[in-house]
Amino acid sequence: MPLLDIKNLTLEIDTALGWVKALDKINLSIDSKEVRALVGESGSGKSLIVKSIVGALPDRWRVTADRMNWKGRDLLSMSDTQRRNITRNEMSVVLQNPTTTLDPSATLGEQIGESIPDSMLDKGWFWQRRAQRHTIAMQQLHKVGIRNHELCLSSYPHQLPDDVCQKFAIAMALVSDPKLLIADNPTMGMETTTKIQVLRLLAKLNKTRGLSILFVSHDLLAISAMADTMTVLYCGQTVESGRMSQIKRRPLHPYTQALLDSAPSFRRDLPPKAALSCLEGTIPTLQHLPIGCRLGPRCPRAQKDCVKMPAVRRIHDHHYACHFPLHRDKP
Amino acid sequence: MLIYLGRRLNLLVITLLILCIASYILAFLVPGDPLINLSGNPSPSADQSAQLRLMYALDQGYVAGFWQYLKLTLAGNWGLSLTSQNPVFQDILQFLPASLELSFYAMLISLLVGLPLGIMAGLKHRKFADMGILSVSLMGFSVPVFWLALLLILIFALQWGMLPISGRLSLLYEVPHQSGFMLIDILLADISDKSAVLNDAIRHLVLPTLSLSIVTSALVIRLTRRSVINVMSSDYIKAAYAKGLSHAQVFWRHGMKNALLPIMPQLAMQFTVLLTNAMIIEVIFSWPGIGEWLIQAIYQRDFPAIRGGMLAVSSLVVIFTIAVDIIIRLIYPLSKRQFHAQV
Ligand SMILES: Nc1ncnc2c1ncn2[C@@H]1O[C@H](COP(=O)(O)OP(=O)(O)O)[C@@H](O)[C@H]1O
Ligand code: SF4
Ligand SMILES: [Mg+2]
Repeated sequence: MPLLDIKNLTLEIDTALGWVKALDKINLSIDSKEVRALVGESGSGKSLIVKSIVGALPDRWRVTADRMNWKGRDLLSMSDTQRRNITRNEMSVVLQNPTTTLDPSATLGEQIGESIPDSMLDKGWFWQRRAQRHTIAMQQLHKVGIRNHELCLSSYPHQLPDDVCQKFAIAMALVSDPKLLIADNPTMGMETTTKIQVLRLLAKLNKTRGLSILFVSHDLLAISAMADTMTVLYCGQTVESGRMSQIKRRPLHPYTQALLDSAPSFRRDLPPKAALSCLEGTIPTLQHLPIGCRLGPRCPRAQKDCVKMPAVRRIHDHHYACHFPLHRDKP
Repeated sequence: MLIYLGRRLNLLVITLLILCIASYILAFLVPGDPLINLSGNPSPSADQSAQLRLMYALDQGYVAGFWQYLKLTLAGNWGLSLTSQNPVFQDILQFLPASLELSFYAMLISLLVGLPLGIMAGLKHRKFADMGILSVSLMGFSVPVFWLALLLILIFALQWGMLPISGRLSLLYEVPHQSGFMLIDILLADISDKSAVLNDAIRHLVLPTLSLSIVTSALVIRLTRRSVINVMSSDYIKAAYAKGLSHAQVFWRHGMKNALLPIMPQLAMQFTVLLTNAMIIEVIFSWPGIGEWLIQAIYQRDFPAIRGGMLAVSSLVVIFTIAVDIIIRLIYPLSKRQFHAQV
């Protein structure tokens, strides 16, 4: 049974121009010990998926799903308390942009302290617990590569540089020893050495403790090294998902192809100084979605049939939504 | 921090200096002999006149004159009132506490009423409770203070006779002036039926305080509500929920502090608004405070008193504003990023 299993997740948000579907029939599942990459250009709704999973959306927005199960229990229909218990003990999230997701008026020490569940402390008097929390926090900070833990724990978010806040957010997510880590762009704005350190830490936790990771990133190189499976998102829809190796070798969806082509490090055959390929145009805004396949206007393979929304098709565990997939030209 | 303190103190001194300059200029602009306006002696003899001219250095140019005036002002010599011939400074010391007392209680009540209601409305954003609180506060907000005061008098004092119409204390009682704050004075005073006097003083306080605090409560509600709404929809509150904290934990640990701290300066500033409103209320309730005193002075063209009263009230407002700024700076970490004074 998958750890997290999402089927047909739809999110409607109210904008100035009325309700729009920011996420449309998203499918996503994460097995235990799996590292799943979630990729897509900015504005494709990656962060919205992350927020829907942990319930960090405004109350007004409408989240519906055929299934949104955590270990077989439906997250959407359970009570607030039950859901909080799961997010408290079993899954952790690093939201995008830690500078705004950290409380500006509390020290980082207080904030990481309240992420440590009581069950991790041994029995003791409450004054001893404070010291225990401090020790746990300190060790976790060392793991993500923050050496000056005293300064970090006693500082307010605005007193520290962004990349330290970013590392701190990762530490805070990992401190409760979760089953699943959802990381939204966790290495954004980090320099290469620290980035490698963080990625290595995540990989190690995945191997040794069986941590599952939903890894949201632009960094295809980091993703391809870490992830087992990948889900490609475009405009609030899942366009392709499957095993990383398979998608890398033979992407079926034109958008995935374009995404892979745009990453120079993926193309060994690229001659020096060659122009990088990219899709024409930009991602449409939610208010002006094209009818039919949302990639339509930008798609190099688009044909007349593409004005109809392509259904999700499946070859083994490889899913794609396209009328005219690559590498599968009809005989 | 030291630089910051230095800046604020600098601002304080300069603003006070400007106020002094303005009050000095006023003595020359208003009708009448500047000498009389400054000293408050309505018909000095030739001898006295020469002495006063020397004292105020009137013949040595404006700069020397102002310097002299500044020294006298700092020493507490603010001239005499033209009508009563009392020293202005002593008068102010006597009347100002009454106004402060009134404003202070009104502020207290506004906060006690406004903060909880504002928070409640903010947490129940767009729900029934929010709409209800908001519309009531809008009504309170749009009522003119003096009209409200008259209405309250009409209902509670005249119609129902529950509360006294005017004054600070029934004429039956005599409380020696010590701090100027009536309730404190009563508690300090060595009088026989203390509880009766206290009761009477409080009954006198009710109507003026109520009419003052309704408007301010409405303001406090609106400020608090907006701030709570903003904070509760912010990313870090969502993140706190995502950590698995309960509603109560999120609100008390992350929401409350962030919602209230940024509006503290605005809340504190309401005190100065209150003080000005209090002056109007004082006239209606014949409350022996600085407002009533100042209005009398204006009616009687008592320029030394007008000058002194304005200087006192404006200095008080400035000092209060800067003090609030410094206190907030001490307790609110985020404000440390702001280096320059804000108005
Ligand atoms: N608070 C919001 N209000 C309105 N639209 C939003 C809001 N947050 C995100 N969106 C829209 O949802 C889409 C997806 O955003 P996001 O999930 O942040 O993209 P990504 O993380 O993939 O860059 C964007 O088109 C954005 O305009
Ligand atoms: S369905 Fe058509 S437009 Fe959409 S991705 Fe496939 S080929 Fe392109
Ligand atoms: Mg994002």
